[in-house]
Amino acid sequence: MSERLLLALLFIAPAALAADSVTALLKAADAFRLPAESVRVETHVELYKNGTLDKERLYTVYVRPGRRSLVLMKSPSEIGQKVLLLADQFWLLMPESQRPLRITPSQKLLGEASTGDIATMTWSDDYDGSVTDEVDCPQPPSGVSEAPAKAHRCLHLDLAQARNGVTYARVELYLDKASKMPVKSDLYVGSGKRAKEAWYFGTPVDGQLRIMTMVLLDDIQPNRRTVIRYRSIVPKAAPDEFFNPAALVRNPLTDW
Amino acid sequence: MPPRLTFALIGMLAAISAGAAEIHGAITVAPEFITWNTASPYDVDTPRRSSRQDIELKLQDGGFNAQGILRQQIAEGHSPEYHGIANQFYYDGTLSPELGWTAGKKVMAWGVGFGFKPLDVIQRENRRAVNPPPLSGVPLAAVERFSGTDAWTIAWTRPGQGAGESDDRDSAAALHWYRLVDGDDLHGVLRVSHRRQLEAGVGATRVVGDEWSIYSAALYQGRGPMRADGSFAGAAIKAVAGAQWTGESGTSVLLEAWDDPDAPLAAGTPRENVLLRLAWDDRDGCKPYADLLVTPRDGGRVLTVGASWEGNRQRFTLGGRQSGGRAGSAYAEAPSKRILWAEWRLAIF
Repeated sequence: MSERLLLALLFIAPAALAADSVTALLKAADAFRLPAESVRVETHVELYKNGTLDKERLYTVYVRPGRRSLVLMKSPSEIGQKVLLLADQFWLLMPESQRPLRITPSQKLLGEASTGDIATMTWSDDYDGSVTDEVDCPQPPSGVSEAPAKAHRCLHLDLAQARNGVTYARVELYLDKASKMPVKSDLYVGSGKRAKEAWYFGTPVDGQLRIMTMVLLDDIQPNRRTVIRYRSIVPKAAPDEFFNPAALVRNPLTDW
Repeated sequence: MPPRLTFALIGMLAAISAGAAEIHGAITVAPEFITWNTASPYDVDTPRRSSRQDIELKLQDGGFNAQGILRQQIAEGHSPEYHGIANQFYYDGTLSPELGWTAGKKVMAWGVGFGFKPLDVIQRENRRAVNPPPLSGVPLAAVERFSGTDAWTIAWTRPGQGAGESDDRDSAAALHWYRLVDGDDLHGVLRVSHRRQLEAGVGATRVVGDEWSIYSAALYQGRGPMRADGSFAGAAIKAVAGAQWTGESGTSVLLEAWDDPDAPLAAGTPRENVLLRLAWDDRDGCKPYADLLVTPRDGGRVLTVGASWEGNRQRFTLGGRQSGGRAGSAYAEAPSKRILWAEWRLAIF
């Protein structure tokens, strides 16, 4: 083996190991939100303005492997709206027009509760990065936490998008060092501006700790706070044909 | 359909299937105020002030879907009118996981575009209408096939009705093909009818980067629109092309141009149109917008500004439209000079 090859291996191997380690960390973190590859998630969103509950929204989200998600809006004011996410491609169906509209990644960010925040529940498929340091876990600001957080050590990950079409271009993620449960993330849009910070709260479900609540603080509208509660996360594989954009107009998915 | 019958039918079905059905109701109040153009050469026979009040019910149980409206229409100088409208009433059935069928009255929209959608050969919708009420579907029987990236729909619209006095009342056989190819949405349509004979069209939408989408569509029609003497114009092509940019801030800009050979005969306006639209989404339910439509051939223009705000169950919409442009242009001579409208919608359950 030549000296050059040895030198190359010396430099490349640790980098590859680090990447594997970050992927493993992200998969471990994902498991706190998504217990199976295919699930149906009932999501309740509370939108607070200046600390007062302003709006409530209900969503049913079907997640399938291959970065496929289908969001059904269930609130009276939004009933019939659907959003389909197939990797980095997105469609919106408004009930008034019954016409699937192709939307851009930036349009996915629009609306009171970003579809990307509702439909995307994993990091490992979408982001690469590194563990930058080990720090005391950040503490949620007053009014966000439902219970005082215990002092823990956290791994601080700096993640960049590995694919097109992800909701946030960069994520700073804090994982509890012992359990790998997500504690907090800072979410940055393509321009480099921080758009939101997210706090994650776990609840024991069937003997396992699961993230059932996520609180989003909006940097662009600082008086807003969004609380996303996962009412149920059930392993369920919706049929492939439901994830065809043209099929949005006909599938009520009432039996799913 | 008589109002009582519409609601009796929906109510009966709601009662039968109460256990599993999803039922939703909403109230809409939509007043409108028009300033007439006294210099217009066209006759004006519409009230200045009017208002539409709708009680809307939607029912869905498995594949069964119904949407009905009980409407009160009040207008200055006229007695109130009451209408019962069955907007949609259809069943979506399944023959196999990839093969479905539909029978009934359904909204079936296939178009590509924003202000003009030439591929909408079944659901013909006036996309430039001011504060339009919910669409009413078309009676049809259809078979649809879906796979991962393909879809086919074959529909027979207004079965057994024969030749109609307008395109949307003409019985037809139609086909829609959709394919997702390398991130592009591709559409093809084919329609055979008494009035237009053969219509065939294609369209595509492409997303470029995170912020841009571009689209275009064209439709060949074997016969053009009907002239005043009852004869048909020769073969024609409808076309649209546009681009939309949406930024991180929620601002979006849309530029669209279209050629509508039906416009001169049907609406008295030039066939070439250019639309520029600016809109903003504040991510808190407020969505203001402004758009300018120009007809380059005669220098006409229509400016529309509006905003909507959505609360927990309520939505308010306000808007205004002013027609004008170069003297002698179709829009400068249009009978309505200015339209102001508002809408309040409450989702009850």
